[in-house]
Amino acid sequence: MQLNLKSLFWNAIFVLVLISVCWLIYASGKRIDYNWNWERVVPYIATNAASSINAPADGEIVLAANNQLVLQNLSGDTIVELGGYSSLSVYEGDLIFEGDSLATIEEWRIGPILQGVITTIKISAWSLVFALFLGLFIGLMRISSNPALKKLSVVYIELIRGTPLLVQIFIVYFFIGTVLDLERFTAGVIALSVFTSAYVAEIVRSGIQSIPKGQMEAARSLGMNYPKAMIYVILPQAFKQTLPPLAGQFINLIKDSSLVSVISITDLTKAGREVVSGSFAPFEVWFTVAALYLILTSGLSWAIQALEKKLSASD
Amino acid sequence: MKNIIRAEKVNKIYPNGCHALKDVSVNVDKGEVIVIVGPSGSGKSTFLRTLNQLETINNGAIEIDGIDMYARSTDINKLRQDVGMVFQGFNLFPHKTALGNVMLAPLKVANRAPKEVKKDAESLLKKVGLADRQDNYPNHLSGGQQQRVAIARALAMTPNIMLFDEPTSALDPEMVGEVLDVMKDLAKEGMTMVVVTHEMGFAKEVADRVMFMEDGELLVSDTPNNFFDTPSNPRLQKFLSKVL
Ligand SMILES: Nc1ncnc2c1ncn2[C@@H]1O[C@H](COP(=O)(O)OP(=O)(O)OP(=O)(O)O)[C@@H](O)[C@H]1O
Ligand SMILES: [Mg+2]
Repeated sequence: MQLNLKSLFWNAIFVLVLISVCWLIYASGKRIDYNWNWERVVPYIATNAASSINAPADGEIVLAANNQLVLQNLSGDTIVELGGYSSLSVYEGDLIFEGDSLATIEEWRIGPILQGVITTIKISAWSLVFALFLGLFIGLMRISSNPALKKLSVVYIELIRGTPLLVQIFIVYFFIGTVLDLERFTAGVIALSVFTSAYVAEIVRSGIQSIPKGQMEAARSLGMNYPKAMIYVILPQAFKQTLPPLAGQFINLIKDSSLVSVISITDLTKAGREVVSGSFAPFEVWFTVAALYLILTSGLSWAIQALEKKLSASD
Repeated sequence: MKNIIRAEKVNKIYPNGCHALKDVSVNVDKGEVIVIVGPSGSGKSTFLRTLNQLETINNGAIEIDGIDMYARSTDINKLRQDVGMVFQGFNLFPHKTALGNVMLAPLKVANRAPKEVKKDAESLLKKVGLADRQDNYPNHLSGGQQQRVAIARALAMTPNIMLFDEPTSALDPEMVGEVLDVMKDLAKEGMTMVVVTHEMGFAKEVADRVMFMEDGELLVSDTPNNFFDTPSNPRLQKFLSKVL
């Protein structure tokens, strides 16, 4: 009971501190001469504003056999059927030039910010997969008894960890990208996976080395060769050990992905920058961007925790 | 009769310079139970581990079932399937259930059909008295139970030889008996066994021959009666006076 009261007290303190921080942010927002306009951000996330259907070529509006309006080009072929649209802006007999508005429709479309979120997810997911495999590979080289493999992996890890990611992105995009004719997106994924894999390799190495020697001996004594012993005995155990540090590394990956905006990939950060200049609501946009990153990282963190829980059956 | 294990003048020098085995020669017949005793650091484990090449040797020769272990053409992974090993620390795979531990090698090494493997694994666990514990993870088993699973796991590859390195040393006294009983049953079935242990009772009762090692040398190899009742080697006499 005593303990319960005490923990209640400190939890109350926690909530109090959170509320005061929020209030402080709110108060400082009020103090500066700034008009908070959160609704301005919404259309950049998703919008159902009307968009117009434009004529792809010159032609004429005619009534087709099924009693519906169509756009025919100059040689009499139907190029756009207008029957499906409710708000038409043309009438039968109108002469139409390329680019004229034929009708408007209202439908939900994702805005540039959500588009940025999707790009960020895509680039992070690809990089995560490649980083995991590359890191596993380099990590295994790192503990290999073959001096060539071992030294190569050490050089790789030191080189990658010793240089800033931003510089690596520039090198991959401008140097390797030019030599191999890479797309921006590919260059971004390569830079991010290479960078992350060096850290994953170290995590993999320490994870494998934390498994008692007896496990490998037991596996080998049953007749397993080294790869089989690794795959069926050592790595499953090491994987469990490395999940928490891997989670941290992959959360870093999502955040680091914001750096690819420097090579003009329109990820969440770049989308934010673009929207800021058009929306006149910079504070709101940046807070929104931060919140979206937070949703991505906490989603990943939650997923990995769920996986950890599932794997803890043998504890 | 042909020896199932032949070790000829085996020498092992660890990279740190420790000369752990000095000209050790041992021949074991099929179905024989050998118990090796000796003071700590005398090279018992090292010798046992050379028999399935967990330790490579620097000098000498080892033949298992007529196959030269160090011949170019020898597939060590294949040879190891014929030599089961039980460790002092059990070394069960913690991410697998008892049944999973027993099934892993038959599935992944022998590539046998899962259904058949499961049936065999279940009857092996029954044999070591753990039919009702097959779905437990090692962390949910007592030491004695873990060691019995480990024996079942080693037997799953149907080896002709079983090596035991102090299988009861890490156990609480009340659990030693259950593991020794399984080993006795195995001996009765005619399994060839090489056992390093401090259980002198087991040696007297089950062993066909008892060997004494000290400082990397194999000094005595004799029947249990001669070994314990009329030891002639003064170093063995000294050792026995301490442990008996
Ligand atoms: N991996 C190793 N590297 C270097 N020296 C070792 C290694 N393993 C064992 N030794 C040494 O080899 C000698 C024999 O060791 P071994 O483990 O075979 O003895 P043992 O008879 O099994 O002893 P115990 O009863 O304590 O298990 C010891 O002096 C030991 O210090
Ligand atoms: Mg030992």
